[in-house]
Amino acid sequence: MSLLQEEREIILGNEYVENFDFAEVEDFVKNASKELFISHHFKHSNKMLVQPRGGFPTYKKQFALNEFFVKANVDVLPLTIDSNTRLNDYRSAARMLRLSEENDVDMLNGYPLVNHGYRTTRKMVTHFNKPVSLRHGTPDARLLIEQAIASGIFDIEGGPITYLLPYSKNFPLDKAFLYWKYVERVCANYSQLNEPINRESFGPLTATLVPPAITIVIQLLEMLLSLEEGVKSFSVSFAQQGSMMQDIVTGHVLKKLARHYAEDIGCGDASIHLVYHQWMGAFPTNPNYAEQLISIATVVASMVGADKIITKTNQEAAGIPTKEANAETVANTQYSLRILNGLPNITDEQEEEILTEEVMAIMQAVFNDPADTLWRKVFNCIKSGIIDVPFSPHIINHNQMITIRDEQKNIRIIKRGKVPIPDHCFAYEKAQCDLSKDTTSIVNDIIHDIGIMQ
Amino acid sequence: MNSHNDKLLIDVGSTYVKVCVESNAPERCHLEQHFRNFNQSILDDLMHKCGHTISAFAKDDVYICSSANGGLSTLIIGLTHTFSLKYATNIAFNSGINIIDTILYQDIASATVPSDLIDVVIIAGGINSKGNAFADDLYHYLQNINYSNIVYVGNEQDAKVAKAQLPELVVLPNIIDNRLHIVEEELKAYLTNLYQQDIMGKEDIKDLYQISSNQIFSTPYIVNQTLPLIDASYSVVNPFILLDIGGATTDIHYSKDLVDENMVTNNEFDRLVFKKLGVYKSRESLIFAAQGNEFVYELLMHLNVTENIFHEQSDKATRILMQLAIFLVLCKMSHYRQTYINLKLSAVNSIVLTGGVTKVLKQEEAEDIISFFYTKILTSQHRPVTIMDTDYAIWTLGSRAQDANHRAK
Amino acid sequence: MKVVTGVIGNDIHVVANRLIDLSLKARGYEVFNLGVNTYLEEFFDAVIETDADILLISSLNGEAEGWSREVKALKAEYKGLDNLIMMIGGNLTVGTGKAEDIIPKYKNYGFDLVCHQVDLNTGLDMLAEFVKEKSA
Repeated sequence: MSLLQEEREIILGNEYVENFDFAEVEDFVKNASKELFISHHFKHSNKMLVQPRGGFPTYKKQFALNEFFVKANVDVLPLTIDSNTRLNDYRSAARMLRLSEENDVDMLNGYPLVNHGYRTTRKMVTHFNKPVSLRHGTPDARLLIEQAIASGIFDIEGGPITYLLPYSKNFPLDKAFLYWKYVERVCANYSQLNEPINRESFGPLTATLVPPAITIVIQLLEMLLSLEEGVKSFSVSFAQQGSMMQDIVTGHVLKKLARHYAEDIGCGDASIHLVYHQWMGAFPTNPNYAEQLISIATVVASMVGADKIITKTNQEAAGIPTKEANAETVANTQYSLRILNGLPNITDEQEEEILTEEVMAIMQAVFNDPADTLWRKVFNCIKSGIIDVPFSPHIINHNQMITIRDEQKNIRIIKRGKVPIPDHCFAYEKAQCDLSKDTTSIVNDIIHDIGIMQ
Repeated sequence: MNSHNDKLLIDVGSTYVKVCVESNAPERCHLEQHFRNFNQSILDDLMHKCGHTISAFAKDDVYICSSANGGLSTLIIGLTHTFSLKYATNIAFNSGINIIDTILYQDIASATVPSDLIDVVIIAGGINSKGNAFADDLYHYLQNINYSNIVYVGNEQDAKVAKAQLPELVVLPNIIDNRLHIVEEELKAYLTNLYQQDIMGKEDIKDLYQISSNQIFSTPYIVNQTLPLIDASYSVVNPFILLDIGGATTDIHYSKDLVDENMVTNNEFDRLVFKKLGVYKSRESLIFAAQGNEFVYELLMHLNVTENIFHEQSDKATRILMQLAIFLVLCKMSHYRQTYINLKLSAVNSIVLTGGVTKVLKQEEAEDIISFFYTKILTSQHRPVTIMDTDYAIWTLGSRAQDANHRAK
Repeated sequence: MKVVTGVIGNDIHVVANRLIDLSLKARGYEVFNLGVNTYLEEFFDAVIETDADILLISSLNGEAEGWSREVKALKAEYKGLDNLIMMIGGNLTVGTGKAEDIIPKYKNYGFDLVCHQVDLNTGLDMLAEFVKEKSA
């Protein structure tokens, strides 16, 4: 018995897991319908896949939500996990689930997968026979991912950086790396049985003025950490940034460099995909404007050649969207995609060159760290501020980089902190902005830029 | 002799000595453990009990670690609980120090003056732009206590005055940076060295260089080096805690994700010590602590004994005391009782037991007490997997890793 | 002047926190930002360690009230916080409440400046004014 297997048995021996049957689960994955694998769809579908968001506490409501989605012609079903489960607090999740079931009021902000268990959840997944994408935000997702795969969920979002820096204040980052290593290994192992399990990184991060260079570096690093453990299908992602030009350039650079670095570590055989998130920042309260913002996002996604788009609704500003609104946005996005044909292939070469240089300079700094493993190099670089994520609440993050929008709404770096942005790139970024104002006016601009789409 | 790359590893504890033969040839490996005879020097005691084994090894192949002298006693004076005192305490525990007392500087006028000699006094507080954090009351207080070493790791501005007042003062970089984050390296190196010098300075330990030509390290240091390797080599699953219950103290090493602390450090594990929790030298204080715990009588009932057991001297009494020690340590670390830190015990996947406890308790006896704790105190059905390090594999692994490091250098 | 700031309690509103940080720095303050999820004792301890002149607590999820009741008692345990300027801002109540009810309540808890749903720049102008008056 391998060491990983012993570890898995202990983790799945948790009191909230009902008798995890390893052999049965392996058998299930081996014989699972190809339709459940998003990697299979990536390979054979010639259209962009559409995936909404959504998760409800009870099985009944989650099932009803999925029915709505299927009627709206969804390609990928989401399963968003509640925040108690994200913190591994299965006890509170169990209590809140019971209250939700008894009172028909949603006491959780997502589906508590561990408490429902894989036997129950699998019934839902196989019933709809569509790929399901797991959305969570968990630093230690070992137990959750085991249950997800056993349920037939073969698209796993997250990563040690993208699920930690936007959400947590003090969960130790080094531990998150080790826990995600386990996830990668489990995904890699199952990938040998049938179609590959797809891993997806969470590009939006804090969704607040994150410059493309930082987004791309983190996407590339999480991809490398995953591929080096044997994962064969990986999605890099980013969210609509507010400037169409910057989005197109970001998409190009991200795709190009993902391929480059994957080959660099000898993992060129893995398939790499691009996922685009419709606007993740604060939404306009006017639902008509919200709708315009969403359709523009769909256009951009087509222009960057995304393999999957993750949708938002026109109710975003008002709180958690209803299942009707979620389904409607799927139908609308599908409609937009049908009419978006024959787009020209455009880019801004100078911008692309600058962004490529910035990303490669930061990547080089990471590789130059003397640590013996990639995860430790990345850890050291976050600790020393070589990687700095604007608006992260985590204590390890330096928060010294300051970004602002230029006149074309591109996100520009006006203070680089310890991030090794090459001098001439930095000069270029600053030259796009009006920095002659006094500092308080600049801060007011930043405040304005955060709410740019409102 | 050494065609099998044989090594002799010796761990001198406060109560037991462990002697272990490591070899590439499995049939040659063996482990022996002896209760120490306190009327003899350590070397005489060792040679008396296992002289035959020891004499078969060249000095180059003998590796020794020790916690026999109980470690250094430390007094930390700091400005606040959240920053200076917590940071200095964290660094001191991780440097292998067992005995830590703390004084909040604003209360120094009413603080009791320790009568024992203190090995090292640590003064911490303030970011570098804060000055005048310390005044004459600090120096008055220090005049009244006996200490061997004193180190200043507070703000830069007060360092000059402090140095003028205390010529023997060692000044190191501030342990609090301008973001109010911990800076551990220099103080950790200083304390680790001091502990090392202390071990080597003890007459008892000096003798041991007659049988070994390798540096003698402190046992907590060796164990701490081993922790990141443990889950790679054993079926121990993160997050875990390691309890080293011995004769005098109880050491706990814990995965850092079990606490919500705002300290970004380089180690995945932190250490904490309960200084008066052991079943031999600290037997009295263990019993005292037990009598103050409201669940203990229920626990004794569960174990089918009465409190008379506290006054017995028998194997059974020792076993009960060990079980009590496990229970009390878990209580102290749970939210049920506030201490320096609280661990999220419901997230623990493995509990590793090492030290004297593994010689006294059977696996089921340890598991029984851990179940009792989770049921009664945490009202939880959670059951971490209990691992008994019966053959001191952790210590052996650490000593071997140390040896490998040594050779690499 | 030195300011310690942060978001109190189990509140994770990081954007507001970062903006307060940036705005204070733009106005020339030296800022010690404890970030989100900060507890009362950490605030006071940070003031002691940094020798701060101002403590600016923010709260967006309405938790402030519960914590603020403990301010006076906790502050009394410290020596040397008598000259500290205490300010609180954000959404200071759960649900709806009138500023004229909320402000006196928080002043009574021990805050010199109370900004309930006040624009950030206005709040910081109030602080500047208060500092000026105090030193006059």
